[in-house]
Amino acid sequence: MELIEHPPILHIPAIPDHILYTWIVMGILVVISLVATRRVALVPTGGQNFMELVLDQFLKELDETIGHEGRRYLPLIATLGLFILTSNLMGLIPGLVAPTANLNTTAACALIVFITYHVIGVRKQGFIPYMKHFAGPVPTVLKPLMFVIEIISHCARPLSLSLRLFGNMMAGHILLAIFFFMMGFDGMLGWALSGSLGGIVVGAPAAIIMVVFVVGFLLPLKILVAFIQTFIFCKLAMLYIAAAVEEAEHH
Amino acid sequence: MQRILTVSVLAILAVPGMAWAADAAGSGDMAKAFAVLAAGLGFGLAAGLCGLGQGRAAGSAVDAMARQPGAIARIQTAMLLGLAFIESLVLFVFVIAVILLFVKS
Repeated sequence: MELIEHPPILHIPAIPDHILYTWIVMGILVVISLVATRRVALVPTGGQNFMELVLDQFLKELDETIGHEGRRYLPLIATLGLFILTSNLMGLIPGLVAPTANLNTTAACALIVFITYHVIGVRKQGFIPYMKHFAGPVPTVLKPLMFVIEIISHCARPLSLSLRLFGNMMAGHILLAIFFFMMGFDGMLGWALSGSLGGIVVGAPAAIIMVVFVVGFLLPLKILVAFIQTFIFCKLAMLYIAAAVEEAEHH
Repeated sequence: MQRILTVSVLAILAVPGMAWAADAAGSGDMAKAFAVLAAGLGFGLAAGLCGLGQGRAAGSAVDAMARQPGAIARIQTAMLLGLAFIESLVLFVFVIAVILLFVKS
């Protein structure tokens, strides 16, 4: 991977890259929030308008998924969503690192969701009834088996949640890196500039085709993936919370 | 004409790949070669089967949208969730492939 991957522009030796870029994302979000809430008006303008639009989308999803109680969880979901979206989009700029392309960052987000929805469930209905819920609506003989299976499936949730986001970002990152490598000075462009006949005949058109392909297809696809993965992460977090809350109302 | 064009484009795309493959096979030992083979085959298999599954899911969703244009938003949400679940299985394979390729054992 060292062969094809360019080191990031901003690099401090003692600090891992994903942590540094997490701080940058935090800084961006804090500045945007401060600008948006500096003069809060009844009729929003500018930055406030934009942020209200964004948060309205989160509220709509929360109402749809969790129900009337969902608005309590807006801070958690919206923070996760904005953080993940900003990180994903930052990975699109060559030379910057997406913090979500590192398993540690996504695992941290997924663990926060995991712990939160269990705490919500235990709070809503107490520890013992919540534990009973893992056994599910099956005959008593099967309950221990069901309990073990449910525990395993709940433990798989943060795993799949973190691996999905990480895998998507990492795959896009490597794909872009390979394409930039192939059309750069070590690849087609270098071949075209080397002066050989084959390079001029084949390398130059290939380099142009690759540039068009990357700009016209890969980068839009990556923008789409960045938004969809954010949506999926938030939607799944909402669904898990909704399951924990719903069980309480059910009994 | 079309066939010649296709073959030549494929050849262009394959040239740097072959160069890298020769590098990888030349420097490493037998285990490394098998790791590269396993990563390539496994990821190809996973991607192809994921294509089948996602195609079914997306096709059914479009079918349902055409039947009920009023429920497009809900169907779209369900489709995206389903696609993400199918895709995450491929991403597990991807992570394993990355581990095979880049982690020195």
